[in-house]
Amino acid sequence: CIPRGKVFWPRLPLCSGGPAVSAAAIVLLASLHGTVRTKNNIQRYFGTNSVIYSKKDGQSVPTREISKETKNLVNILKGMKVELSTVNVQTTKPPNRRQLKSLEASIGRLQKAPEDAPQKRSESRSPELVAAASAVADSLPFDKQMTKSELLKQLQQREEGSRARRVGERPKISFTNIISDMKVARSATARVSPRPVHQIQFDEGTDDFVGQEKAAHLRKSFRKNIFKGKRLNIFELKAVTEEAPETEAAPSLWDVEFSKQLAAVNEQPFQNGFEEMIQSTKEGKLWEFPTNNEAGFDDDGSEFHEHIFLDKYLEDFPKQGPIRHFMELMTCGLSKDPYLSVKQKVEHIEQFRNYFNEKRDILEESSIQFN
Amino acid sequence: MESHSFLLAKKSGENAAKFVINSYPKYFQKDIAEPHIPCFMPEYFEPQIEGISEAALQERIKLRKVKASVDMFDQLLQAGTTVSLETANRLLDLLCYCGNQEPSTNYNFQQREQAEELEEATEGNNEKPKKKAGHQLGVTWRAKNNAERIFALMPEKNAHSYCTMIRGMVKHRAPTQALNLYTELLNNRLRADVHTFNSLIEATALVVNEKFEEKWNNILDLLKQMVAQNVKPNLQTFNTILKCLRRFHAFGKLPALQTLREMKAIGIEPSLATYHYIIQLFYQHESPSKGSSLIIYDIMNELMGKKFSPKDPDDDMFFQSAMRVCSSLRDLELAYQVHDLLNTGENRKFIGPDHRRNFYYSKFFGLLCLMEQIDVTLKWYKDLIPSVFFPHSQTLIDLLQALDVANRLELIPQIWKDSKEYGHTFRHDLKEEILMLMARDRHPPELQVAFADCAADIKSTYESQDARQTAPSWLASSLNYIAVLFLRAGRTQEAWKMLGLFRKHNKIPRNELLNEFMGSAKASGSPAQAIEIVKLAGAFSLPICESLTQRLMADFTLSQEQKEALGDLTALTSDSSSDSDNDVGEGK
Repeated sequence: CIPRGKVFWPRLPLCSGGPAVSAAAIVLLASLHGTVRTKNNIQRYFGTNSVIYSKKDGQSVPTREISKETKNLVNILKGMKVELSTVNVQTTKPPNRRQLKSLEASIGRLQKAPEDAPQKRSESRSPELVAAASAVADSLPFDKQMTKSELLKQLQQREEGSRARRVGERPKISFTNIISDMKVARSATARVSPRPVHQIQFDEGTDDFVGQEKAAHLRKSFRKNIFKGKRLNIFELKAVTEEAPETEAAPSLWDVEFSKQLAAVNEQPFQNGFEEMIQSTKEGKLWEFPTNNEAGFDDDGSEFHEHIFLDKYLEDFPKQGPIRHFMELMTCGLSKDPYLSVKQKVEHIEQFRNYFNEKRDILEESSIQFN
Repeated sequence: MESHSFLLAKKSGENAAKFVINSYPKYFQKDIAEPHIPCFMPEYFEPQIEGISEAALQERIKLRKVKASVDMFDQLLQAGTTVSLETANRLLDLLCYCGNQEPSTNYNFQQREQAEELEEATEGNNEKPKKKAGHQLGVTWRAKNNAERIFALMPEKNAHSYCTMIRGMVKHRAPTQALNLYTELLNNRLRADVHTFNSLIEATALVVNEKFEEKWNNILDLLKQMVAQNVKPNLQTFNTILKCLRRFHAFGKLPALQTLREMKAIGIEPSLATYHYIIQLFYQHESPSKGSSLIIYDIMNELMGKKFSPKDPDDDMFFQSAMRVCSSLRDLELAYQVHDLLNTGENRKFIGPDHRRNFYYSKFFGLLCLMEQIDVTLKWYKDLIPSVFFPHSQTLIDLLQALDVANRLELIPQIWKDSKEYGHTFRHDLKEEILMLMARDRHPPELQVAFADCAADIKSTYESQDARQTAPSWLASSLNYIAVLFLRAGRTQEAWKMLGLFRKHNKIPRNELLNEFMGSAKASGSPAQAIEIVKLAGAFSLPICESLTQRLMADFTLSQEQKEALGDLTALTSDSSSDSDNDVGEGK
């Protein structure tokens, strides 16, 4: 239902006295849904203010400009910074048409967005933004309230836009679409947005504020660009994260050397005496404090009861008689021995067992009961 | 300065002691420490197992004795015993890693680069050629060396054998052979592991005489083969790709970004080395062109507040390149961001070895001098120098220029005093700069006195330098400045002595200097001095001589003989000077 070649034009008497801000918003909304003006109005409109605008035709604005007027305001913003070399008043040229075509194509998609706009308008904006917008508005010959509200709204939209992009909505108006459809009026305009950042930054003007805002916006919108975009599309996430059932071989020489190199990356000479002491402690040159009498001594993990209760090793020996007596005395002595490990004590008992077994015949002669 | 050399001395003493203990282990057997301290005992580098057996071979491999292992292997084969696949693989590992050379021992206090023969070095005595383990750059892979021979001799080979050979070849710069071996591996229907693929990527980039597009396509092919063979890429895969892309200059920019995104998409977190390679790629030239990218801002935004652990051996190069970019972009905010990142968590350990740290801080401080207010710069000066790094003389010159811009020249004597402590006593450019800044304008008297003291100090350094060297170290400009400073501070005696030095070193005084001397002579009311000046000017045949003479005549009352002497002098000069006014000479 949108006639081709026509322009969306908000029904706003810009040069008249100040309607309320909300009224402007509503009217703007209404314009999006279908009020149409012819191009003649535009011509008239711009005819009176040729001095101010510089690059109306070439639009290097980022995204989502719905109405021509808001776009112009953005140009004003930029135009205030840039040397006005050409004054381009006519708007009936083909470049406009083409650019508007792309806009029309995407307006449909954008129908949803403006509905959210009124709610978001009540969101608090940063006072700097408001101050900046009012400063700009003050300097323009139009109605100040209108311009200010326009500016704020436009900035708001851009913020939404970048937010939306971050959230990952389907691309509405893609940047490249606009640029590809636009005829390049000047080479400067078709370039990527970073350029205004530099321009604004290098200008010594009172409006550094606004410049910085724009720079921050641009930087933020540029922020994820190194991570967004085409990738090689060779690997799949699934294939990489699933655990491959590979057996871990013993680390080869390559692995050992690599881990040594990696450890060397972080090496720094000692910054203070504490680091020196830490290193010495790790090497074993320095004791660990508080001192531990058993530092470095593990005793094969055996407990005290394994040292003391050695009766279970006497099961094979006769239950009575001198041998038993002897062995019991021996276990008593062994249990008090702090220098032998459990294994050594058991070995002792083993040795005696073997000894008595060998000398069995002598013992039987002395009629000592053996079992 | 002393603490630095003290720490180095301490470390080298430790190394020397370790060397002695390990060379004569039989004298250091007593072990009285309880609990036992292993690092005090001598280490054993000689193989203990004698005889020909696989165990002996394994021991020699473990001790990294290349020649001994190869000999043992040959002996085993001759004796007819088969060597197990695993041991053979380990032998191959050793050979491929070391490039058929003896690896260096850990005694890195002897860092003489000895000429490497490509034959295996003789082992056994401790006078082996010592080199740092990292300096394998000189080692190239010869054809038909031991590794290839043994590889051919092995009855069975598994994937590991091929992989280790490929890795060895790439490490020692034989990329085409590596690629050929890879095709052989594929023909045998074996599967390479991820490390081998990383080496192969490097190999494709090393091959000469191919265009960048071809190389890039080859790399992409390799990656697709990785997918086909179900080999998971790791961080090193992507870092190797980026490292190779660096050589492709402008062509590599887009592929690099694609690689980065691929990495993120798979879930492999980029390390500092990744960003280092990207920075190197995008900011290859020193001067920023108009089209220089904003990538560094994106990278810094991404990295803010993150803490890192070492994942890649090149991680410690990031901060240096980041600061280099900040310096060339002249962006102080960004430099502060980078510095904050350095100070987050334990990231300061990634600053790298001494020379890298010095580079980073020199660039940082240079940028501060250039862009920051002088008070903040001085605060940084106190913080950083000398506790964090020793300034280059250029750094100090930058600081002096910053002081000049901020009109804080009274700090110059202090800076000179500091410079002497940092070892810049005999640096000409620094002294020139200091003298020039002091002598350029007139200053209030106390400051002038301080400047004159400083100048006297500098003069003494010149003199002591003269005594030591045969070549004269004085420069005409320094003589000028020092003389001017003396004059202005009222130290006329010394100033006059300076004039003598001019003649001695055959340097020409400047016109302003002579005028100042004239003024001083007038102030002290001594026509003799004035005549001295004119004589000096005459001796050097300076064109200013006439104006001096005029001034002399005008300001002073001269005795007759003085006038005669003057007459001769001016007659001489009026003949020799180019634009002489003969009236002056004749007007006597």
